[in-house]
Amino acid sequence: MSLSRRAWLGKVLQGLGLSALVSHRPVAARAAGNDPSSNESGPLIARVTRPYDAETPVREFTSFLTPNHRFFVRSHFGPPAPELITEANWKLRVGGLTDQPLELTLKDLAQFERVTITAVVQCSGNGRAFHRPKVPGVQWERGAVGNAQWTGVRLRDVLAKAGLRRNAKHVQFKGADRPVVSSVPLFVRSIPLEKALHPDTMLAYEMNGRPLPLLHGAPLRVITPGWMADSCIKWLTDITVQAEEAKGYYMQTAYRVPVTAIQPNSGLPGTSMVPVEAMVVKSLIVSPVNDGQVGLVPVTIQGVAWSGEASVATVELSFDEGKTWEPARFVGEDERYAWRRWQYVWKPKGPGSVAILSRATDAEGQVQPQSTPWNPSGFLWNGWDRVTVTVQA
Amino acid sequence: MMTFSRVILSALVLGLPGLAVDTSAQEDDLASVSAALAPRAEGLIIARCSVCHSPDLVSQQRLPKDRWMATVDKMKHWGAEISNDESDLLVRYLSARYHPGAPDHLPPFDSELRKAEPLTQEPVQAGPLVGVAVRGAGIFEHNCQACHGAGAIGGMGPKLAKNPILKHEDLFWETVLYGRGPMPAWGSVLSQQDIADIHAWLLAR
Ligand code: HEC
Ligand code: HEC
Repeated sequence: MSLSRRAWLGKVLQGLGLSALVSHRPVAARAAGNDPSSNESGPLIARVTRPYDAETPVREFTSFLTPNHRFFVRSHFGPPAPELITEANWKLRVGGLTDQPLELTLKDLAQFERVTITAVVQCSGNGRAFHRPKVPGVQWERGAVGNAQWTGVRLRDVLAKAGLRRNAKHVQFKGADRPVVSSVPLFVRSIPLEKALHPDTMLAYEMNGRPLPLLHGAPLRVITPGWMADSCIKWLTDITVQAEEAKGYYMQTAYRVPVTAIQPNSGLPGTSMVPVEAMVVKSLIVSPVNDGQVGLVPVTIQGVAWSGEASVATVELSFDEGKTWEPARFVGEDERYAWRRWQYVWKPKGPGSVAILSRATDAEGQVQPQSTPWNPSGFLWNGWDRVTVTVQA
Repeated sequence: MMTFSRVILSALVLGLPGLAVDTSAQEDDLASVSAALAPRAEGLIIARCSVCHSPDLVSQQRLPKDRWMATVDKMKHWGAEISNDESDLLVRYLSARYHPGAPDHLPPFDSELRKAEPLTQEPVQAGPLVGVAVRGAGIFEHNCQACHGAGAIGGMGPKLAKNPILKHEDLFWETVLYGRGPMPAWGSVLSQQDIADIHAWLLAR
């Protein structure tokens, strides 16, 4: 117990990047400012200490890829006991409506074609704190999102090996994480077969070229590019092919939004609820930081933008509370499911406080709204991003 | 999209007068309700609600009474060990302290806890307390097992069976009454007899 506990702590620290911060990074390099990651600003912003949920300070999103140890952390019960997911003990079971149930080790998975995709992973509740009236749940602000390179195998290749029966409609995922009290429902969810068979839906064992860290789902997690992270089950151990959607709280009650707009706190008469799936179009202003100061000189405003299943077409900025909008310019990598970085050179007109707003539009014409339709659990927030700065004379 | 934003807007407009009625007199009422209930309620939150998650998940919410009620009911259904009286008290406290108009930053739990009084002001016993192991088994199961494991063999909290601390009674009592780090303080939840019973049961493991 004590040994595995230490090993566990080591892994957790590794996931948090504390060990890296403490032992490997020379302080002098950071002080000299020649460390590319010098915008790292202390620990992640913890929203819940146990189980650990934490978001990334948005100012760190100047880099295209979010480093593993700076990536937001979210789970319902915390990582599983490390014994359950060591290479010797861990297995992936694939069953249900299949011709041939499988039990795969990591070595077996390595036999499938290796694929890499850069994709945004975002908590469905990112921005929950901005919904009015307020709603219950982890009060995420802007940083429960990140962009990483995921490497693993196509889910559809694994399903093909098991052989799908004709009545297969949904694919259910279960991880090794468990609540402290067994009367709490397990985090079990499913995705429709169509998404499961999409060539970009994958089971990832690497994140940014490193084995998946414990906090991010070691040894294997689901990645559903373009969809919110409630489908990206971590510590994956069981895939079950079914005719029906998964049963239980986390599929049938939680992670659902009303199909049509509803009055806040009105109850849900005549509205049906559907699972949170694709991401909605969204942009963030990364620099300057909120409440920051800038000089009366040209300022490069930087940010990121992404959408669900379409690419981002434009990002615009407003300096007059949304009356007029100026187009920003895209820079850097352009990949299907990754976020797009953008810049705008702004010449402040005079000293004083200025609110900078951003909104993105995607290729399907979805526009980031001023504020997101209220929903009882506060999912899918994508209201205009807003940063207030003081221009100094 | 148009209809969405219109619904939101009208709802906001309708909602605003409601907020404005929230006069400072009402604020004072809420503050005095929460101050009166704080010692017991904060004790319950630490002892009962932090078995599965840290109390910061509770204190970051700002909810109206009906949503607090639904949340506490859900937690009870999932396994929070609270009686009906305790959940009533919690809902009254939570909706007075963590209501939608409350400031984002309230003093942390710790400062409330320091004010927490023991729930049971029993007269100091004439003689030493005598624990009853059979009663201790049940009290342990309801209060300690979630963290210290069935049979006290350890879990998220350390193993207590055969733990040397059992022989250092003053240390044991201090830890259980006042808590330590993630270990909740039980002084405002359990009676001294309850703690003595748990101690007796642990010694027999
Ligand atoms: C048996 C385990 C357990 C206990 C005990 C427990 N909770 Fe929870 N609570 C949960 C779980 C599981 C969640 C969902 C966590 C997540 O989504 O990450 C949760 C979430 C919450 C939330 C966030 C809102 C929501 O609905 O997700 C609040 C607020 C909350 N609990 C309050 C309480 C209070 C107050 C108590 C004490 C009366 C309590 N909890 C006791 C398991 C528990
Ligand atoms: C919410 C989880 C939790 C609950 C519930 C809980 N404990 Fe603990 N307990 C802990 C943790 C964690 C520690 C270790 C504290 C530390 O690291 O200093 C601990 C430590 C202790 C210790 C000290 C052990 C040592 O080796 O020093 C005792 C004694 C103890 N608990 C008794 C109890 C009793 C009795 C109950 C029930 C009335 C209880 N605990 C309920 C989490 C819990």
